[in-house]
Amino acid sequence: MFESCGCKTMGSTNSTLLKIPNAEELMQETGFSASHIVRLYDRFTSLDKEGRGYLCPQDFGAIKELAINPIRDRIIGAFFSPGKETADFQTFVRILAHFRPVDKDRTKEPEPINSRSNKLRYKDGNISREELLKVLRDMLGMQVTEEQLESIADRTIQEADLDRDGAISFEEFRKVSLEKVNIDHKMSIRFLR
Amino acid sequence: MFLVALPGFHLIPRISSIVPESCLLIVVGLLIGGLMKLVGEDPPVLKSDIFFLYLLPPIILDAGYFLPIRPFTENLGTILMFAVVGTLWNSFFIGGLLYGVCQLEGVHLAQVDLLSCLLFGSIISAVDPVAVLAVFEEIHINELLHILVFGESLLNDAVTVVLYHLFEEYSSVGTITVSDVFLGIVCFLVVSLGGIVVGAIYGLLAAFTSRFTSHTRVIEPLFVFVYSYMAYLSAEVFHLSGIMAHDQLSVLVQFDSRLIACGAVTRPYVEANISHKSHTTIKYFLKMWSSVSDTLIFIFLGVSTVAGPHRWNWTFVIVTVILCLVARVLGVVGLTFVINKFRIVKLTTKDQFIVAYGGLRGAIAFSLAYLLKPEHFPMRNMFLTAIITVIFFTVFVQGMTIRPLVDLLAVKKKQETKRSINEEIHTQFLDHLLTGIEDICGHYGHHHWKDKLNRFNKKYVKKCLIAGERSKEPQLIAFYHKMEMKQAIELVESGGGAKLPSALPSTVSMQCVFSRISSASATLKITCSSPVWKVPYEMSHTFRNIQPKKPAQDRALPQLSKAREEEIRKILRTNLQRTRQRLRSYNRHTLVADPYEDGWNEILIKRKKMIELEKKMNNYLTVPAPAPDSPTVTRARLASDPQAWGSKSVAESIPTIKVDLASPQSAETFSVMDESCKKTTKEEDPGLTMKVPAPASKDGKEKPAAESEEDKEPGLKLLRCLSDPGPAGAEEEDEPFLP
Repeated sequence: MFESCGCKTMGSTNSTLLKIPNAEELMQETGFSASHIVRLYDRFTSLDKEGRGYLCPQDFGAIKELAINPIRDRIIGAFFSPGKETADFQTFVRILAHFRPVDKDRTKEPEPINSRSNKLRYKDGNISREELLKVLRDMLGMQVTEEQLESIADRTIQEADLDRDGAISFEEFRKVSLEKVNIDHKMSIRFLR
Repeated sequence: MFLVALPGFHLIPRISSIVPESCLLIVVGLLIGGLMKLVGEDPPVLKSDIFFLYLLPPIILDAGYFLPIRPFTENLGTILMFAVVGTLWNSFFIGGLLYGVCQLEGVHLAQVDLLSCLLFGSIISAVDPVAVLAVFEEIHINELLHILVFGESLLNDAVTVVLYHLFEEYSSVGTITVSDVFLGIVCFLVVSLGGIVVGAIYGLLAAFTSRFTSHTRVIEPLFVFVYSYMAYLSAEVFHLSGIMAHDQLSVLVQFDSRLIACGAVTRPYVEANISHKSHTTIKYFLKMWSSVSDTLIFIFLGVSTVAGPHRWNWTFVIVTVILCLVARVLGVVGLTFVINKFRIVKLTTKDQFIVAYGGLRGAIAFSLAYLLKPEHFPMRNMFLTAIITVIFFTVFVQGMTIRPLVDLLAVKKKQETKRSINEEIHTQFLDHLLTGIEDICGHYGHHHWKDKLNRFNKKYVKKCLIAGERSKEPQLIAFYHKMEMKQAIELVESGGGAKLPSALPSTVSMQCVFSRISSASATLKITCSSPVWKVPYEMSHTFRNIQPKKPAQDRALPQLSKAREEEIRKILRTNLQRTRQRLRSYNRHTLVADPYEDGWNEILIKRKKMIELEKKMNNYLTVPAPAPDSPTVTRARLASDPQAWGSKSVAESIPTIKVDLASPQSAETFSVMDESCKKTTKEEDPGLTMKVPAPASKDGKEKPAAESEEDKEPGLKLLRCLSDPGPAGAEEEDEPFLP
């Protein structure tokens, strides 16, 4: 696995660490180690080309590989809380912390699931049919017809929707996905350990 | 004789629950060998070339073709660690310690030198895929463990063979230098990687050919086999440098990797191209061949035990057995400790135990030992005896006890439930998500590469290898259709009730939700879209006959006892079989003629006939015209059984059936003949057909071509389902057609 950020010696790590606001807090909160924080900070600054100290959606859009990802808008959207147009380093790190591999002694198990369904959710906390349709449309693109999409969405909802309210609540989602797909484990990126 | 033994074995269920099949086969072999010896004949020994050239390849090809690619690649690192490092550890540990033991004073084995011991160690340390398959298939453990042990057994052949060569070659010469070791490693890499590449090339060739076989459906399966065999044969051409003296063995390694690669690579593309009949043919042929090979191997083992030259040496044998166990356990534990640092899903102690315990040795070890030349190895017979003992021990003792142990330790078993569409969507979504996050981090992790590979695959490879429209079909859609059709077939199989109201407008995927069914006990929800699966009439008839027997039917509670449902399904299945026997004689040509390729007109005509027939049926049969309640209730009742919709959780027992028929080309005409049903009408259509009427869709023609493919699926799948009784069907006789 290679990283596009270079290696740093301990000395420069420390000095970079000092530059980062609230580094200690962040480390505590997210569980990242100092070197991780530094790496992420490097990445953050390299994305933030104009050196403003925060990121906006265009910066994310500039990432080449992300551009071809079907759900990039959702991913980018997750970094920005509703209403805000900027993401500072804290937010950046916090969101990425969701993808840390889960250890037994960490208390953050619900977090990964949360962020996953966050990316699908409506504000009221449910995944509605329209949301699902949107996601499917993103993923499948122009290759399928509307009807097919609709039938898939309907079927998905039927399978998961236990209280038959036409939408998938967080609980139902957990049940269906966690049991079978084991999202905890799947949703981790080793790099971020 | 084994033909006799095999069914006999199955008829005694008690035995089969205790004794794995492989054990029994060895016993049979022993008996045969014993008999032959009594008679005075010389029983045939499992000659290595027969084994490697004829018996082993079908099993390997079968394994490669059905290899579950996703879990395999996800765990590849672990598997390789176990295969390579584990085998090395085992060989050296066993070999070294054996040598030490042999040097002991009281043992009188001082003439066994180090290299021989090491060689012996390398032979015996190889976990055998045949044995593993035979035992693991019966215990149904979870996918992860299965793929770990099985993958290890497949990949460790290369290591074993290289070690074997190394030691064998240089035991005659007397010394090993570092450069030889280095050369050995290089060899290993070249041989295995080269093998994989060549196998993959052949696989792609096969896939490419299958793209053009739409006119020659009958021989499609042949292509797959021909290419695999060619991959196999051309290994002969690859003579490696002088270090590989034994062509046979280097060929073995190449075979393995080639066949696995060929099978695994071919499958996704070929399956998209070939017709379903061919697919079934390939599947059953592979299973058949590998079963036969499997059986023969074990029987031969038994026979060879009786026949083979033996030299029994208590110390040697017992020490070997103990060392094998110890080495395996230590190896697995040690490796897991290291591996777990890199894994996200850690291997627990239970997992480790199963992996260690599942390290069965088998016929490969025996054949390798048999290849030893007695001139170089005076101890050969002793080795053979020891190996046979170890094999027997692992297969009998470990094989028999692994099942109760699995139950005792409550190891997670294979999930019986089908993959739901939710899972599929989530998995894909997660893949995209994680790739995106990795991109944001600027980190080229394995999601990134996986995504790149997928993209490449979609863009270039699929276009080349898959014919027509299927190449553009996204994976999710394909999966979705497969699921729907499966459920539709199950729905049809379980029969019950007359058709759904076909008066619904013919737009695609209409939904009618029968919410009345969602009552207390069974929350079944069946969604059916327009049209309409015409239920086989005899099935509905049969079901109605069964109905009166059931006391106090509460229409709102569609719960049949399991036994009842089994009975019903048995009846239905045998009914299908009976009528199938009346199929008019077919020749090769009608067998091939895929109804989908028939004209639209024929379909229309047939459909009209069916409608008329139905009207008459409705008049004849006493069941009232279908109220929304009854057909679905009956269907619900029957549909509640299929194993996959197990009683596990409520959420999972929601069968949703959606039949998505859009295009004009969809109709596959089946109509079930019910001879004993005293119908007055006659169908002129041949024997067994069941009809799926297409919606009278004017807008159907506007639908894109992709959908016509999708619709061909249901009929084809239906065809396959109906023409395929499955192994269980054959054994269930003696059920009177109708009471």
